[in-house]
Amino acid sequence: MRQDTVINFEQVTKKFAFQSQKTFKEFLPALIKGEQTSTGFTALDEISFQIQAGECVGIIGPNGSGKSTILKLIAGVMSPTTGQVTVKGQVSPLIELGAGMHPELTGRENIYLNGAILGLRKKQINAQLQSIIDFSEIEEFIDQPVKHYSSGMYMRLAFAIAVHVDPEILIVDEILAVGDEAFQAKCFRRMEEFKKQGVTIIFVSHSLGQVQKFCDRVLYINKSRLIADGGAEEVCEKHDEDNSKK
Amino acid sequence: MISLWREVRDIIKWRELLGQMVGREVKARYKQSILGYFWIILNPLAQMLVMSFAFSVIMRIPTNATDNIPYSVFLFVAFLPWTLFANSLSSACASLVSSASLVTKIYFPRTILVLATVLAKVIDFTLALSVLVVYLIIYQIPIGWQVLWVIPIFFIQQLFTMGIALFLAAANLLYRDIQYLLNLLLILWLYLTPIIYPADLVPERYRWLYQLNPMAVIVNAYRQVVLANDWPNLLGLGMALLVSVLVFLAGFTYFKSREKIFADNI
Repeated sequence: MRQDTVINFEQVTKKFAFQSQKTFKEFLPALIKGEQTSTGFTALDEISFQIQAGECVGIIGPNGSGKSTILKLIAGVMSPTTGQVTVKGQVSPLIELGAGMHPELTGRENIYLNGAILGLRKKQINAQLQSIIDFSEIEEFIDQPVKHYSSGMYMRLAFAIAVHVDPEILIVDEILAVGDEAFQAKCFRRMEEFKKQGVTIIFVSHSLGQVQKFCDRVLYINKSRLIADGGAEEVCEKHDEDNSKK
Repeated sequence: MISLWREVRDIIKWRELLGQMVGREVKARYKQSILGYFWIILNPLAQMLVMSFAFSVIMRIPTNATDNIPYSVFLFVAFLPWTLFANSLSSACASLVSSASLVTKIYFPRTILVLATVLAKVIDFTLALSVLVVYLIIYQIPIGWQVLWVIPIFFIQQLFTMGIALFLAAANLLYRDIQYLLNLLLILWLYLTPIIYPADLVPERYRWLYQLNPMAVIVNAYRQVVLANDWPNLLGLGMALLVSVLVFLAGFTYFKSREKIFADNI
């Protein structure tokens, strides 16, 4: 393993188990007869890759191919069934923003709550509060409960908080589809800044255009397997080929 | 034991999140209500009045050893900590499941979610306690230095609560049956604990069973030290402490053993 490797996946397999018998009436006889009570589903099949510090890596693949599972393994919320995942450094997830938002609390209260969830200290939030509010462009509503926000405003606030974390590894999942064009452009500018600062970025998107423009390297996942790993253009071409065959 | 120590260090590292989570619990609950935080006091007060009426005027339950104490005070001293216990367990039971979006997205010590709900209930309890103090003043109940025993007794209660809370939160994430089971269990447990009746009404041959129920010992001890100005039953309290420590360790161990699959099963 190279010295500057920050994410290392070694033969990672992730299986999920589903209960086959839905009701107790079906479950009990099955248990007694010694039938299988759960069916497995392999979300990731022996995947290995390494990501070095400062790399900007895109992950592409159709729905259900295992992209989100990879992100969850990196974020540390899931553990692999077999194999090993090693992550060095603070991971900041920009996945499904607003997971920690409480609808009854005001925007300002939510900034503190979400900041804490992302690992910020209160002092840090105080110092950045104005900058967060400015970025979100919703100053006049900041003391309203977020349940009154439009979905766009909600996302803006969540994104504004998330980009004010000082991450070492940034996980971006399909979130740049939110907001109007001007806000999207602003988000990309912020991500470019992160890239320049040497933050490692994992970027998941269905938009190959965005991935090619933004990432140097791309992982192509399909049917739980790593199909291709390499330069953005060649992997995206491979992805297009696969798709056109269907 | 090592994992417990590591968990404590983790929680200290994430203490600001813990603070925010407790704040979220307390602040969000009574938003958009006119009476707001007043509900925290109003709720136990109303329950208390109705129960006092039912059990002292209609059913006339004696207060025995603490004979000169009005029934409402007798009830309050035991019922308040019980409410804390029951409310802590119900909200802890739902704590992981209701934060599913966090559990599947972001890493932080999961015990914080459970601890935060329990701490939020302690805040409720402290507010409701002010009503008890007013009661004690109105009825001019003499308070001795023995009342300081309340602190270690409370500590034992919280240890016991936390152990069960950790178990319930993790188990309910895997099997939602637990929350329904808990509702049933809490009702039975309330009647099997000397709360609406004095402990010495329990027939001699069942006493040993009561000693095994830490809540019975704890509630009785509160009465002893607050109302009777007496020492608590130290042997019983020691037993309760032992049981609580064991329950806590078991709950914690179960929680940690299931923690890895939380995100898969929620």
